[in-house]
Amino acid sequence: MNRKLIFFLVSIAYLILISYGLYSVYTVEATLRVKEPPKIKPENKIAIARTEIFGKLERPQVIFNHGKHEEAYKTEGCTACHPEKDGQVIFDFPMNLKKRDKTSVMNAYHDACIECHKKSAKKEKTGPVNCGDCHKEQERDLIVKHPKAEFDFYVHDKHVKKLKEKLGKDDCGLCHHSYDIEEEDEALRLVYEPGTEESCYYCHDLEKKRGPELKAIQNAAAQKGLSMRRASHQQCLNCHLKYQDEYLKKGDKEAVPTDCSKCHTGKYKTVAELEKVPRPDRDQKDKPFINIENSKMKGVTFDHKTHETYSRTCRSCHHETLNACNTCHSLTGKPEGNGINIAAAYHHAFSEHSCAGCHNKKKEDKKCAGCHHLIPAMDLETMNPKKETCAICHTGKKDQLPMPKPLSTAGLNQQKVKKEVEIKILEKEFEPSKFPHMDIINELVKISNDSKMATYFHRNLQTLCEGCHHRSAAEAEAQKDTPPNCKNCHMTAYDRQNLNKTTLLSAYHRQCLGCHEKMELEKGRKCTECHKAKPGDSQKIITMRNEKVVKQNTSIIINEWRPE
Amino acid sequence: MDRRNFLKILGSGVAGAATGNLLTPGRTLAKETPSAKEFYGILVDTTRCIGCRRCELGCAEVNGLPVPDISESKNENLLKTIRKTSDTQYTIINRYETEKGKIFVPKRCMHCNQPGCVAACLVKAMRKRPSGQVTWDLNCIGCRLCMISCPFDIPKFEYNKAIPRIQKCNLCYDRYNNGVLPACVEVCPTQALMFGSRKQILEEGKRRIAANPDKYIEHIYGEYEVGGTSHLYLSSVPFEQIGFRKDLGTVAYPKYSTGFLYAVPFIFVLWPIVMLGINRATKKSKEDEEHHEEKEKH
Repeated sequence: MNRKLIFFLVSIAYLILISYGLYSVYTVEATLRVKEPPKIKPENKIAIARTEIFGKLERPQVIFNHGKHEEAYKTEGCTACHPEKDGQVIFDFPMNLKKRDKTSVMNAYHDACIECHKKSAKKEKTGPVNCGDCHKEQERDLIVKHPKAEFDFYVHDKHVKKLKEKLGKDDCGLCHHSYDIEEEDEALRLVYEPGTEESCYYCHDLEKKRGPELKAIQNAAAQKGLSMRRASHQQCLNCHLKYQDEYLKKGDKEAVPTDCSKCHTGKYKTVAELEKVPRPDRDQKDKPFINIENSKMKGVTFDHKTHETYSRTCRSCHHETLNACNTCHSLTGKPEGNGINIAAAYHHAFSEHSCAGCHNKKKEDKKCAGCHHLIPAMDLETMNPKKETCAICHTGKKDQLPMPKPLSTAGLNQQKVKKEVEIKILEKEFEPSKFPHMDIINELVKISNDSKMATYFHRNLQTLCEGCHHRSAAEAEAQKDTPPNCKNCHMTAYDRQNLNKTTLLSAYHRQCLGCHEKMELEKGRKCTECHKAKPGDSQKIITMRNEKVVKQNTSIIINEWRPE
Repeated sequence: MDRRNFLKILGSGVAGAATGNLLTPGRTLAKETPSAKEFYGILVDTTRCIGCRRCELGCAEVNGLPVPDISESKNENLLKTIRKTSDTQYTIINRYETEKGKIFVPKRCMHCNQPGCVAACLVKAMRKRPSGQVTWDLNCIGCRLCMISCPFDIPKFEYNKAIPRIQKCNLCYDRYNNGVLPACVEVCPTQALMFGSRKQILEEGKRRIAANPDKYIEHIYGEYEVGGTSHLYLSSVPFEQIGFRKDLGTVAYPKYSTGFLYAVPFIFVLWPIVMLGINRATKKSKEDEEHHEEKEKH
């Protein structure tokens, strides 16, 4: 009996071992594939899911047709479904929501919808009361997303003008306010003071991380649940509702819209379209002189007025409150400025808010990118920035440098600056390539003269040469009077120390083709345009034929470089 | 069953279990992987490739393959279709139309750090060389398991030959031993291909991404894919748009099979013992039976 028991126990132990072994074998990581859910045009529909309360949904979400309900409640108005407070409609649903837990929110929704449907069913055709008619299984993963509405300068200007016409005076306080967090009386905190208007986003955009000062106000807004979405619906729609009837009587249906799709168009105006629109005036200086105390650099006169028309919002530069940069960014960096010092605030190469970042972005335009894509951003590799380059902005005077005369190629020495250059590097396989040197200079001059920014910064003709003759050892070449040829630096064979160093062949191809590609030129994209075929057999690669030579070169490379 | 038999069975069982435990996947793999620093590979910058197909020509000349016609008129037509490598073309260029314009992508063997083809080969004809190249040898028996095991569809079989071989890029292993760069790198007119140790080219790839954050997407294909490869790719558009598979995962392919293969002897040894054990436990012994019968008689 005892022996049997031992046998039994041992085999159980083996079984456990086997299952452990199998388990460890079959639990190797696997990758997941996610299917993208379908999207529909939102029109006037809203997807009700409230995942922040319900978490994972038991039944499918409800696609609610708001437009249809608006039609039905034309006479009753918004207050049929939405609560009212201090004469203002608050766009919450359902109305009597006391607790924010799963069951009470669910019941509130069901009560509000179904009760109403039941009630009006007696009188007329109305909405469904059965579960599956609202919670449709086929709409479970549907995405209904309204594109963000944008209150751009054009719309702003229209509102300013219309309201002035209506009220007889400017009253920015209708929409703009500031929040005085130090005021003790809660009711008095919301104030309006002319000249302090700012963007709604600064306080109401709850998703953005803000500095300490703004964060306190942001938190206050969050406590009241005034996200950008709720705040703007409340502010815009209440005013629209107030004036809508008046215009409807006149027969002007489009004037004061309340439909979702009228504001959430998904179309946004470009900078060019907004250029002629006047910018809001809050007593900003036209040409402020930016001079940082104790800084090594001279002051900069900044043409604020013209720069206003180059961006779509004030926020694109003034990322946090409409203050001057040096209120938060100091020479050493302050906590308000997130530790970013003033030099970085103006010169950060990739920031959307810095001067240099925005200028770098402009250089990506197809006309500029031909040269600029190969020029490292000055602010990235400040090995030896030229004094003259810095001095273009850092004048130290209360006025900018005068606009230079348009560039011209008239005074060039025809002997030194060749009209056409022949490149013979692939001579054995192809006819020499002809490079129209002078034509290219003329084209670059034309492009530079067409752009205001380029004219201002390209202060002489040599600047344009540097587009191709980059980082050239100009001084050394000038001493010996050698022309700035590519082969002065780029070698024909691979560099034995550094296999990544650009060879001459690669330098030509990447310089020429890179520029043509970046400028989106049609010309010069095909091999045969530069390399005319030689009569006879040009199939085989010459370098391969002289393998002995190649071997000698590269054997040293790899031998030297192979790890011991 | 006597005491001796019982001990025998128990002993062999314990031994089996011990070997099984030793051979669980995680432990052995660490030993199998050689350090990837010494591997050589090529960094392929797809933003630099201009689709001239000189690498195809260079490759064909060096490996004695039929020389392709790379004249421009031919290219235009040929690149309309997405091609695959073949037994006479170890490297090919494909063209993809993307949101950032036409992008040319050289395709060839990726020379994985832990290649599936090497693990699948029954006779060790496929080998991962210490310097990184995955090469093929003449002792191949033509089972073509390497073709099935390759996630990139690279090894190709010479179906139309009497004595067929497996053909694929070997990263110019002979040339490497002679101290010469791979043919494709040598002839590339734009240096879209950079040869170097895996560490070196990985660093260079990361440097390029850091210096041009707008130009490249922040991913080096082959850094982690299928456990890392010796060919690394840089791109300006997401890799799935230029014909790369994104569903391969980061686990080396041999890792999937080694686990299972090690489990075979594990079960092979243990399963009979379990059965035997259960059999012994449930079977009535003769003594017991006799004893039982005697009782009934009484």
